[in-house]
Amino acid sequence: MARAILATPTVESLRSNNARSRRIVDKIATAALWGAASTIVLMLILFVVYLFVQGYSAISWHFLTGYPSAANAGGGVGPEIFNSFYILFLTLCFTLPIAVLAGVFIQEYAGPGRFRDMVEFSAESLATVPSIVMGLFGLIVFVQLFHWHFTALGGALTLTLLNLPAMMRVTQQALASVPQTYREASMGLGATKWQTVLRAILPSAIGPLTTGVVLVSGRIFGETAALIFTAGASVSYGASAYDFNPFHTAETLAVHLYSTHREALVPDADQIANGSALVLLVMVLVFNVVARVLGRQLTVRLTGKA
Amino acid sequence: MMVETPETRSPSLRSKMKIDDLNVYYGAFHAIKRANLDVPDRRVMALIGPSGCGKSTFIRALNRMHDLTPGARVTGTVTLDGNDIYAQGVDPVTVRHRIGMVFQRPNPFPKSIFENVVYGPKIHGEHNGKRLQEICEKSLHAAALWDEVKDRLNRSALDLSGGQQQRLCIARVLAVEPEVILMDEPASALDPIATSKIEDLIGELKKDYTVVIVTHSMQQAARISDFTTFFLLGDLIEVGTTSDIFTRPTDKRTEDYITGRYG
Amino acid sequence: MVGVRANKAHRDERVALGFLMSSSAIFVLAIVLILAFLAYNGTLLFWQDHVSPLTFLFGTDWDGFGGQFGAAPFIIGSLVATGFAILVGGPLGVAIGLFFSELAPKRVAETFKPAIEVLVGIPSIVYGWLGLTLLVPFIARTFHAEGDGLLAAGIVLSIMILPTVISLSEDALRVVPNSLREGSAALGATRWETMSRVLVPAAASGLAVAVILGVARAIGETLAVQLVLGNAAVVPKSLLAPAAALTSEIVMDMGDAPEHSAFRHALFSMALLLLLIAMGLITLIHLALRRRTT
Ligand SMILES: Nc1ncnc2c1ncn2[C@@H]1O[C@H](COP(=O)(O)OP(=O)(O)OP(=O)(O)O)[C@@H](O)[C@H]1O
Ligand SMILES: [Mg+2]
Repeated sequence: MARAILATPTVESLRSNNARSRRIVDKIATAALWGAASTIVLMLILFVVYLFVQGYSAISWHFLTGYPSAANAGGGVGPEIFNSFYILFLTLCFTLPIAVLAGVFIQEYAGPGRFRDMVEFSAESLATVPSIVMGLFGLIVFVQLFHWHFTALGGALTLTLLNLPAMMRVTQQALASVPQTYREASMGLGATKWQTVLRAILPSAIGPLTTGVVLVSGRIFGETAALIFTAGASVSYGASAYDFNPFHTAETLAVHLYSTHREALVPDADQIANGSALVLLVMVLVFNVVARVLGRQLTVRLTGKA
Repeated sequence: MMVETPETRSPSLRSKMKIDDLNVYYGAFHAIKRANLDVPDRRVMALIGPSGCGKSTFIRALNRMHDLTPGARVTGTVTLDGNDIYAQGVDPVTVRHRIGMVFQRPNPFPKSIFENVVYGPKIHGEHNGKRLQEICEKSLHAAALWDEVKDRLNRSALDLSGGQQQRLCIARVLAVEPEVILMDEPASALDPIATSKIEDLIGELKKDYTVVIVTHSMQQAARISDFTTFFLLGDLIEVGTTSDIFTRPTDKRTEDYITGRYG
Repeated sequence: MVGVRANKAHRDERVALGFLMSSSAIFVLAIVLILAFLAYNGTLLFWQDHVSPLTFLFGTDWDGFGGQFGAAPFIIGSLVATGFAILVGGPLGVAIGLFFSELAPKRVAETFKPAIEVLVGIPSIVYGWLGLTLLVPFIARTFHAEGDGLLAAGIVLSIMILPTVISLSEDALRVVPNSLREGSAALGATRWETMSRVLVPAAASGLAVAVILGVARAIGETLAVQLVLGNAAVVPKSLLAPAAALTSEIVMDMGDAPEHSAFRHALFSMALLLLLIAMGLITLIHLALRRRTT
């Protein structure tokens, strides 16, 4: 009956009427998708090669460690590199505990409810605040209200706000990768929830957690817009290039690239910018490699699985 | 009086599909081992066997679904009307056009009922709105669903009950006018009433289609099929008319299974 | 003895919960403070300096020291650059997301994915520098123009939003159940037909979220845009003419605008506007996701 009312096709070969054109469309679409994905890789290769070619002649020991120069050629970026790491360090000091604890709360403790929704919504909102807007918030609070002027600490606190959501997300994903059976096993042995988190869950999540933290650190290292008006666009000329006082102004390498381009009087500004861009790129690559290697090592060491 | 078996009803029984030396591997795991089978035209062939024996693996080899599974590899030949569907140059898309499949869990697209049914005809080149309406109505009739949905063809298919969704999926396959319909436990996710509707429908379908159906229920195999094939641990153990398999199996293992000794 | 230990564990548990909850509360506090401070400082221009919000939003004359606060050129610049980025980067990102979820062999995915992660990690100032030294001269040569302007900014932004759009669309496509892929294939659909007619519609709300987050990233991007826009505070006449955006103007002028001046307040108003757009996008995302669940 079914067949009787549907016109019976008499296809004898394994082909149908429009199969050919459809196959061609499919081939073209597939090729286009491959092409689109390849452009990503080609683009990255282009960027890396270009930055190396432009920047490598600027790199020298003196450039990497020396003071920037106000008016003459030959200035270095020593304090800037130090400041980038120093502000990253300060930022991690604030971000890590808060974000990991909050991540543990959301992932392990909080049942569905108003408080959890509020925290998650806040994190999402915080994550979409543009960094320049966060920079102005830092300016309003730390510079205008607290009268700190431009400081490493103010910059680090601003970056903390900017990166809390990403760190929390990283923590949540790392915790989610821990099999449910670990929790049950630990709780089954009479451990409290907190003991379970500390002794069973966090150690097994340490690999992916480290990978995520290092990747986010890479982004903190290169942040610019949020720092220009909080940590400042100049370095303090103290006794050494390494100024640990968190209340001193602290231009980072990324900010230096910006300010060199914008207002430098030195004749070799382009050289310095090219060199700074290359150092920033190399740091991104280093952070990526370290994230992978360290994450894998820690996973193997602490959980015994490859 | 003579016992009516499929053979006696139709002496000119023709093979629709022939499976020769079929092997399926998942990576290194040998899931189907040198299976041979003839699928008779316009009959219902049931595949039975304990869980994990390879029924799904086997039936998915019949319309090249394994092409979609990374790591799956198929060797041997499967012919449809004498043409090897795995031969070089054969487009799996055309194969699946002629050999449709209904899955264990109803899988309607998140679209309207109408759009679900005409999805196949549309991609195969039918763009005439009136023709599509006709195809939709006929296919839903044939799947015994028309009366239940005719007033809400533009509602989402996801609002239907599980049994209705499964009949919609059957209608969707009928709409592309295949010659063979493969069904992998089509009723296992349904309640008894929905199941019996599907079983009645299969009885209707075999007048026009060749049906291969995997089932977990031996009663169901006995009710709806003309032939039954028994699998065990990747081996095709025995094939015969359904009445033979259930009343006088030749292999000890088949007997053990149908008498419930494998659980 | 056992009782003492149990008591201690119990107390630890309570203390821990206190820390966990206060850390979480910091997120709420932070966003509330940001909204409050920017709402206050971002409206000083209107009720302290008596500039009409309409003048601010629709006026086209901008002179920070001269008391002219028409921000329309920057609003238009931001919208056009972002729109361009979405028109190019949105479809391209979704296409590459499709590639990773549907086509890429494991080996290929494993080599391409790290490239995307590196692209995410490249600082926006470096993108700006690449745009300025690589793209702008290229545009100048191709179109016999200055080179900097909305076209350059749009292209740089397209590239910068790609990683966001790619990874979120891939996620959205991956959660589409495999049964739909199989169902479509079993009806004789080609892979492209399955992708375009089943998977993309089924993942529509997730893909919308991916694109919206791309918008959020593009509209707030500052330095990459500032370096290639040409920074002219006028309504742009063409994609090739120098222009400015909300973000780039803030970064250009903030150092010069004295504290407590209307000039600085106007920049805060621009920041507030950016913040409101970001919050609006978050709301849109929630609407898109709500549609999926119903
Ligand atoms: N994608 C896959 N990758 C690896 N092994 C698989 C895969 N699919 C199935 N298998 C294995 O192949 C064997 C046969 O599986 P199959 O799904 O065909 O069994 P089945 O007879 O359909 O079982 P059931 O009645 O439970 O549906 C099983 O051992 C199974 O674990
Ligand atoms: Mg099965």
